[in-house]
Amino acid sequence: MENMKKMFHSLKENYQTPLVIVLFFLFWQFFVMIFKVPEFILPSPLSALNHLFLKQPDANYNWPLQISTTLYEVIVSFGATSLVGIALAILIAWSKTIHDITLPLFIFINSLPIIAIAPIILLWFGYGILTNVFIAFLVSFFPIIINTATGLNAVDEDLLDLVRYLHGSKWQIFVKIRFPNSLPYLFTGLKICSTMCVVGAIVGEFIASDRGLGYIIVNSQYTMDTPPIFAALIVVSVIGVVLFEVVALLERVLMPWQRSQTAGG
Amino acid sequence: MKALGLFLGKHSKKLFTLLGFLLLWQLVVTAFHIKEFILPSPVKVFAYLLQPDLASKYHWPKHIGTTLGEILISFSVTALLGIFVAILITWSNFLRRAITPIIALFNSLPKIALAPLFLLWFGFGVIPNIMIAVLIAFFPVVINTATGLNAVEEDLLDLVRYLNASKWQVFLKIRLPNSLPYVFSGFKISTTLCVVGAIVGEFIASTQGLGYLIKSSQGTMDTPPMFASLILISLLGLSFFGAISLLEKLLMPWQRPE
Repeated sequence: MENMKKMFHSLKENYQTPLVIVLFFLFWQFFVMIFKVPEFILPSPLSALNHLFLKQPDANYNWPLQISTTLYEVIVSFGATSLVGIALAILIAWSKTIHDITLPLFIFINSLPIIAIAPIILLWFGYGILTNVFIAFLVSFFPIIINTATGLNAVDEDLLDLVRYLHGSKWQIFVKIRFPNSLPYLFTGLKICSTMCVVGAIVGEFIASDRGLGYIIVNSQYTMDTPPIFAALIVVSVIGVVLFEVVALLERVLMPWQRSQTAGG
Repeated sequence: MKALGLFLGKHSKKLFTLLGFLLLWQLVVTAFHIKEFILPSPVKVFAYLLQPDLASKYHWPKHIGTTLGEILISFSVTALLGIFVAILITWSNFLRRAITPIIALFNSLPKIALAPLFLLWFGFGVIPNIMIAVLIAFFPVVINTATGLNAVEEDLLDLVRYLNASKWQVFLKIRLPNSLPYVFSGFKISTTLCVVGAIVGEFIASTQGLGYLIKSSQGTMDTPPMFASLILISLLGLSFFGAISLLEKLLMPWQRPE
């Protein structure tokens, strides 16, 4: 009963976004129907969804394969960035020297348009899923490392003095103070990362791939076949939003003491 | 001259790291005899940019001009449109309720996936690339500016309301100056995003620009111009970021950002 009430309350609080999505799709559908927009310019959402759910004669549109390819790239790159990013951030926070040398460098690299390196990665590793995973990894790697390292270091100096006075070991300080303190930063990094991984995977598939939703989008652009483009866009968006929400949920579960609202671009 | 010295002093660590990086790159390539189509040495890369006989083949000024133009125009559009929408959102409660969820929704989508669609709608060329860049860079500006316009101390608002200040006065004298730090942090995010948008647009379909050069050189495994373009893109992005930071310092002398 209490749970039901909670759920109802959260629905009441968050009704706006689903409502906007539904209205958006309705508006789109009626717009296309009323103005008789030609399909090669803008298909109706129904025709896009039809394309997704009805069996397609063209073997290219093997949706389960395309979706699972992109999903695989996103999940593997997200897992790899989080693990490597957090591990490196811990290393950076552990030693002051490493911190002073590497963090400015990482901030510098993060301000560069890393995605421009994608064709070079492709040249090095050839076509394939792993190339796209690597591109997604590179694009999303720096925000997480910068955020986590910042969080591990942003500790109240007085608190550190106090535990040092109480003979807290470096390890204890790390586990009991630095790590919990870094969690909000870490999750901000993970949220940015969740969007960036999707972007990296899609751009990788744009540039060269024979599979995945990005491939479908570019390939259908050549043939001016718009319904699959929009179907792929809808699926890509769903993947991005779901990954973002999973991270946000994990954040709420792991840090019940904090309620934060941040979104990545 | 003094300003230059100050700049060098402040960024000496970064410059040293950069120089060290280039040196290491050169040494690795020379020492291990790495083939040029895998990784060209930085000396080679700069030769492709600066040596007239090598550089003339690639029409650098044309490509740099195209990409720079796309970045500058898309940023200007992003900045003006972003601030305008943010003001609309904060001005009217109704508009805020109507527009904010849409913006929040779009902000979390991978907008770059829309790029091929823009090419389909608007054809090849500079315009679709600019629109892609605007689409990617637009949302951080709106969100940051709107946050800044709203992040005003309630007590201060109460005070000026008590003094019969008009909505317009409150906006001009309190909300707008208060939002500047937020606006600029939005601008800084969108500078990089504008560069990314322009480059990805050029990757997908374009006949000029640095992104096009990277993509077309990849086809022929001609790596030195790829790396040269990467360096140029990074330089464009950094100088642009630096220009925005400078503008921030000029417009907000009372605040010293990190």
